[in-house]
Amino acid sequence: MINNRVRIAKDILWIFALSGLVAAIFRLFFGLGPTTNLTDGVPWGLWKVFNMIAGVALSTSGFTIGFLVYVLRLKQFKSFMKPAILIAFLGYGCSCLALLFDIGLPFRFWHPIFMWNINSFLFEVFACVLLYFTITSIELAPIILNGINAKKAAKLFHTVAFAAVIIGISLSSLHHSSLGSLFLVSPQRLHALWYTPRLPLFFIISAMAGGIFFIVFIKIIWSKIYNPAPVFGSAEEPSTTQLKSLNGSVCSIFSRRLPGPEMSDISKLATIGAGLLSIYFVLKIVDLFILGNISELITGSPESLLYIFELGIGVLLPIILIILPQTRKMPVPVGIAGFVASFGLVFNRLNVGIFGYSSDAGEIYLPSLSEWALGIGVIAAAGLVFMLLTEIFPIFNDRPAKTFVTNLFRKNFGSLQQTWNTVLSNSLNRISLLGVFILPLAFIFMYPPYKNIELSTIRPSTGLDAQRQVLQIDGDHQGFSTIFNHADHQKRLGDTSSCIQCHHVSLPGDRSTPCSRCHQHMYNSTKIFDHEKHKLAVTEDKQLNGLNPSNYSCVECHQTNCPKTTQSAKDCLECHRENMFLTNNSNVQLNSMFAVSFTDAMHLTCLECHKKEAVNLKNEHLDKCYTCHNSLKKDEYVNRTSP
Amino acid sequence: MSYGILVDTTKCTSCEECVMACAAEHQIDPQRAIKEKAINKDGLSAYRLSNIATISPGHFARKSCMHCLEPSCVSACLVGGITKSPEGPVIYDPEKCIGCRYCMIACPFHIPRYEWDKNTPLMVKCDMCFERISQGNIPACVDACPNGALKFGDRDTLLKEANSKIQNQPDLYLNHIWGEKEFGGTSVIYVSDVELSALGWPKTNPKSIPSLTEPLVHITPFIGMTVAVGLLGINWTIKRRMKLAAQNTPDKQVFNNEENSDD
Repeated sequence: MINNRVRIAKDILWIFALSGLVAAIFRLFFGLGPTTNLTDGVPWGLWKVFNMIAGVALSTSGFTIGFLVYVLRLKQFKSFMKPAILIAFLGYGCSCLALLFDIGLPFRFWHPIFMWNINSFLFEVFACVLLYFTITSIELAPIILNGINAKKAAKLFHTVAFAAVIIGISLSSLHHSSLGSLFLVSPQRLHALWYTPRLPLFFIISAMAGGIFFIVFIKIIWSKIYNPAPVFGSAEEPSTTQLKSLNGSVCSIFSRRLPGPEMSDISKLATIGAGLLSIYFVLKIVDLFILGNISELITGSPESLLYIFELGIGVLLPIILIILPQTRKMPVPVGIAGFVASFGLVFNRLNVGIFGYSSDAGEIYLPSLSEWALGIGVIAAAGLVFMLLTEIFPIFNDRPAKTFVTNLFRKNFGSLQQTWNTVLSNSLNRISLLGVFILPLAFIFMYPPYKNIELSTIRPSTGLDAQRQVLQIDGDHQGFSTIFNHADHQKRLGDTSSCIQCHHVSLPGDRSTPCSRCHQHMYNSTKIFDHEKHKLAVTEDKQLNGLNPSNYSCVECHQTNCPKTTQSAKDCLECHRENMFLTNNSNVQLNSMFAVSFTDAMHLTCLECHKKEAVNLKNEHLDKCYTCHNSLKKDEYVNRTSP
Repeated sequence: MSYGILVDTTKCTSCEECVMACAAEHQIDPQRAIKEKAINKDGLSAYRLSNIATISPGHFARKSCMHCLEPSCVSACLVGGITKSPEGPVIYDPEKCIGCRYCMIACPFHIPRYEWDKNTPLMVKCDMCFERISQGNIPACVDACPNGALKFGDRDTLLKEANSKIQNQPDLYLNHIWGEKEFGGTSVIYVSDVELSALGWPKTNPKSIPSLTEPLVHITPFIGMTVAVGLLGINWTIKRRMKLAAQNTPDKQVFNNEENSDD
């Protein structure tokens, strides 16, 4: 029944809207880093590209229908005007709401109103969108005011309606092309398949075509939910004359029903959209030829597949569905065409704004759960407002949709089943019930991970230095350095299992502590055991376990009734077994608490092996000083006496 | 007097003293500056304003803001938060920034970084130690380099010096000064013995990015006005034709009065 469809649609939208609310709260509390998957490599993600750029592109119906009705004076599309204005208003509204969450400092959203950079396309987009949103409010006002019987106020707005439409069309064409021009700054970074000086032109044409298909889609979906008959037709069998009127081509895959009376106008609108898409398709292919990039299409690279998918599903498929007479006049195929064309438009914006930058960024971006939740959530919220307004005001079919929906709330407490149904049919009850389940789930799944880097404790080494192929070992920065090919040694000695041969002791939590951490002085041994720190650590350990720390500290490491010396102390490995690695290097005595000098450490670690290999590989140079000490100042080593 | 920095990559030993001096100058914890090298592929981040990249074994080069003469980020920032100072450095005004991150899209070298982990994040990039320069000092990185790979001075003088380096040792240096002309020229110029495309330098000599976008931005309002006038023209023409057609067929009620029809 209609009521069920309405309820189910609203339930689904509420689920997304509530999740979006949780995501919004998280974003405001925790910032962008923990809640999104945006990085320095991919600074623009779902909210900016999908919600803002693609969102306003889909909301172009306001100006395209306005152009058809008020400028070209095509009266048959008059019934689309009110829904178009509503889509434009809500579309821009929810896009700007998502944008508010996307910018790093939402409380400074008003800055561009007073701080201008007229050289920036983004400023142009901002100014135009702001003005256009005002225009859509002016266009929407008479509808709302008439609906609440404020006729005089409605008349006031009505007088400026025509001017508003003209200004709206001009502003729209400007900012949609400017949205394309935003990406003109990246000839080096945006992939060749999408970067073109004609990008603004492609954006405006695709926006117009996509906007037309979007309102076609919305009209069909809305009719399916609220009032199917005018679009989907009645349930009676069609007569032969009626069949003939469709050129005998009722598409039997989708439906045996004849479409309703409103379908012909929808088909005509979709045809206009298909015409625009065809022009767009031809222009894009020709542009690729002009730029000499047509060969990029057949490389089989991820970008080429994305491009073919975008054009195939988003442009060619709707064109085919509209060209074929069997599908053009039937609501379901046209609805599918509307959906895929809108999807194709969104996909194009994602390609230009995100995927086209992926190979330059060197990383793949996938939105986080919070990003999806807020991104879909604001659209769901707009959808709910849309449904509410169409129910109250005469937007579609010049009647409020309330008249199609029977009384949703019927009191019937006869049995448990009936009571349950009654409770559920009250929308407030349903929303609350949804909220009770959705809000905690959303909270748990989207709670941002703690991404901050802790600086106070020693963290596991990321092997950063090992990323450098070649290390310049210059312990005291005097310019006498040794070139050490770290990657080569690592490979030769057994990859990651060989780390411990040189990094013979790693500090707790480290995988390969740098030499200089313990061997801190160039020529002298250094004490590496911090007695005070260990005393404190042992004491704290006891406190954490709820024990009285006062008598324990010394005995933990030193045997009782003995003088507290290094000899009476425990072996380090007894406590640090998990995180200290020991090599077979016999020169290492861990209990000595001292680390030899930097020079001795380097020589002791390297020379043994080099001497052995000099014999094995019959390479007499391998154990000579100059093999390693090969920096520019090497001659001075030959003459230098040891300190 | 427009200042610049001359980077001689043949003298760089990857000691990263410049990186640590930069961190100290911007009050970043040195341990954090070291760890941040792993965050991004090119080693730059909000807590690491410059990085030494390994071009090939034994050859290193500093990557940091190039301080272009016609910066793309300056043209892109919608609130005018980034400006090219007459002294040379490209500087950022944290008071204006709204966090749109368009500058990060616009820079061809991918320099601007963002403080993702903060609740009030700002954009971060090298500012050529603008405050130190204004007081007559030299940038922290130039001051810290122990091998003389970095030199600070008037850009024209540095260009002359770069040329003389190349001429004096033609076997060592490649015959190219990076930053002389690319993207309209940059204040940070390089001489090197290896190709520097790993830092983001293009193989060609592209024009500055603002020269691609700004002419288009400036004619946009006129395009808008033309569109509006055109629409009015189309509308007037069609209405006129309808009116004439109605006059020729007075007995047919073909058209309602569109102006007063309900919205």
